[in-house]
Amino acid sequence: MRYVKVLIMLLALGIIWTKVSFSSDTLTPEEIVRACYARFYYAGEDMRAKVLMELINKVGQKRVRELTMLRKDYEDGGNQKYYMYFHRPADVKDTTFMVYKYPERDDDRWLFIPALDLVKRIASNDKFSSFVGSDFSYEDISGRKPEEDNHTMLKKEMINNRTFFVIESLPKETSEYTRRVLWIDEANFLPIKEEFYDRQNELYRTFEALEIKDMDGILTITKRAMRNVKTGHSTEVTFQEVKYNLSITDDIFTERFLRNPPQQWLKE
Amino acid sequence: MMKGTLVIAVVISSVYALSAQAAELPQWHGFVEQAYAGRISQDRLTKHQDYNMLEQRVQLKTRYAIPGENLFSRWNSVATYKGDFLLDEYFDTTGSYEVREINLAFSPTRTIDIKAGRQVLTWGTGDYLFINDLFPKDYISFYIGRNDEYLKKPSDALRISLYPKTVNIDFVLIPYFTPNTMPEGDRLSFFDSFQRGITGRASERNAVKPAWQTENMQYALRLYRTFGSTEGALYYYRGFDPSPRSYLDEANRQLFYERLDAYGASVRGSFAGGIGNAEIGYYRSRQDAEGNNRLIENSILKWLIGYEKDLGNDLKVGAQYLFEQKLDYAAYKEALLSSDYFWDEYRHLLTQRITKLYKNQTVMVGLFNFWSPSDKDGYARASCAYDITDQWKLTFGINIPWGEDGITDFGMMKKNKNAFVRVRYSF
Repeated sequence: MRYVKVLIMLLALGIIWTKVSFSSDTLTPEEIVRACYARFYYAGEDMRAKVLMELINKVGQKRVRELTMLRKDYEDGGNQKYYMYFHRPADVKDTTFMVYKYPERDDDRWLFIPALDLVKRIASNDKFSSFVGSDFSYEDISGRKPEEDNHTMLKKEMINNRTFFVIESLPKETSEYTRRVLWIDEANFLPIKEEFYDRQNELYRTFEALEIKDMDGILTITKRAMRNVKTGHSTEVTFQEVKYNLSITDDIFTERFLRNPPQQWLKE
Repeated sequence: MMKGTLVIAVVISSVYALSAQAAELPQWHGFVEQAYAGRISQDRLTKHQDYNMLEQRVQLKTRYAIPGENLFSRWNSVATYKGDFLLDEYFDTTGSYEVREINLAFSPTRTIDIKAGRQVLTWGTGDYLFINDLFPKDYISFYIGRNDEYLKKPSDALRISLYPKTVNIDFVLIPYFTPNTMPEGDRLSFFDSFQRGITGRASERNAVKPAWQTENMQYALRLYRTFGSTEGALYYYRGFDPSPRSYLDEANRQLFYERLDAYGASVRGSFAGGIGNAEIGYYRSRQDAEGNNRLIENSILKWLIGYEKDLGNDLKVGAQYLFEQKLDYAAYKEALLSSDYFWDEYRHLLTQRITKLYKNQTVMVGLFNFWSPSDKDGYARASCAYDITDQWKLTFGINIPWGEDGITDFGMMKKNKNAFVRVRYSF
């Protein structure tokens, strides 16, 4: 009897073991992209980061955008609110920007121009428009819903001893791209590379994660780049300070703090 | 111009020297700008026939969150200062200094914000059209092609904002009246009823400001909140018409700013794939509530609707319709003398905006049009701005007011068509 018990236990363990080690194999491409979307765009309950964007044109001329970003999630994969305060360049310093993101419909966006004391509502039906002149679109910044594309697993690829899912995504409706290929790290579901193809099926943009760090126990892409291979323009983004789960209150994302930037979150 | 550049250089270098010495001090930012506007057609009525702007400007600003362990820092106090040094060569002046902002903002409790001092005040939903925003504007800056920032004039005010659960409240107290800056003849010719036509330097009229006393304080109130994605607001203003539209003493060519109460409301939100807005205002002319005093402006009803849409590829378009009705029109007509100029009961105004960005949003091309089918006049504003680097910006533009008559808002400005260029270095 004892042997039988041990045998059963061993069997059970074996089954569990097999389940665990092969779990990522049983995931569908949709589930992998969804996990990546959650890890990349919804890490933590909220986040504060100082973001440095370097916009580099084809002759190497550099422009700099520096901003503090606050993000609060209302539901994983669901509604989010963003608050941004611009430190640089000088001509937009103190400008603030607020976005309510709804996966099911167009964002609500507000811009505050301090010189005019003006709160402007920004029309936002173009998700593919560039964010502050960079190579990142609004959609790249706040995420594209996985359900908007059909996903297929092309292969698994080993790079530097790490395994990546290589997934092809084809938009269900007309989009800026006609095809996207995404490399997702099997171990942590972070996207390390993306390729965007246009209507001629030519590569026009590439995304690359350049640095990944553990911030507050959450693996975070702290340096990333988007390159437009057709124009030669590129953008490098560095997250200089990243903090998660700060209990940022709801009222930060209102006209009150759009007009009066919240000092407690902006201190350098 | 040499002298101007020299003064600017001295100011900049001393500011840099100062800020370098003391790293603890607040950071200073701002810009240096050279601007010129040539007239498209000569205007012999004004001081200079060929141009209407030639100036150098230095702006310095700072925003300082008060540090340490004191009452000010506990209240999250922020001091703001912004001042412009201007060499206005149109008037051969030796230079002037204007403090545009000097104020302290603080939050004594979790639900109260206070901002005291000189500040720019704006609310309402219109695009270059203002119904419930009765805070002072500078229309000379608007017509000659200065940056939009200069359309708004600062007010010396106390602004108290309250944030209870149900509705947000902004209350503004303005002890001292600041009027709109309107064309006066030296720089921009305009319609002067005393001169019986479009007039320049020959204009001798003057506008008398209300005295600084308790009963002349102005109050402005806004209640606002959001309903999902839609913002709603109610407005109240008690003060004076910011433009001089009433006659104090005809023989002495004196105008004045009649007392005004304004009541209004607005909504703004997502609409048909873009942003829609609507605003209404009722201006009650307190000194001529019946409308039968020919010297004082009547009560007016105004409303507007607007729509803006993002068409993709950094192309945005917008349109607005503004309706104005002079109330008690029969009484007004009845009271007029045969020699008086008179204005129509209704005014319809349409506007259109189109903005396109190129080259990674470093080039902006914009066109804004006002067109009034009832006044048979309009005003086209076109501009092109190029961010050469993060510091250098070059802006070109034209201002084309036009009209059949010389007495309507834009028609009276028709001799002031210009083309301008501004070069700015921001730091």
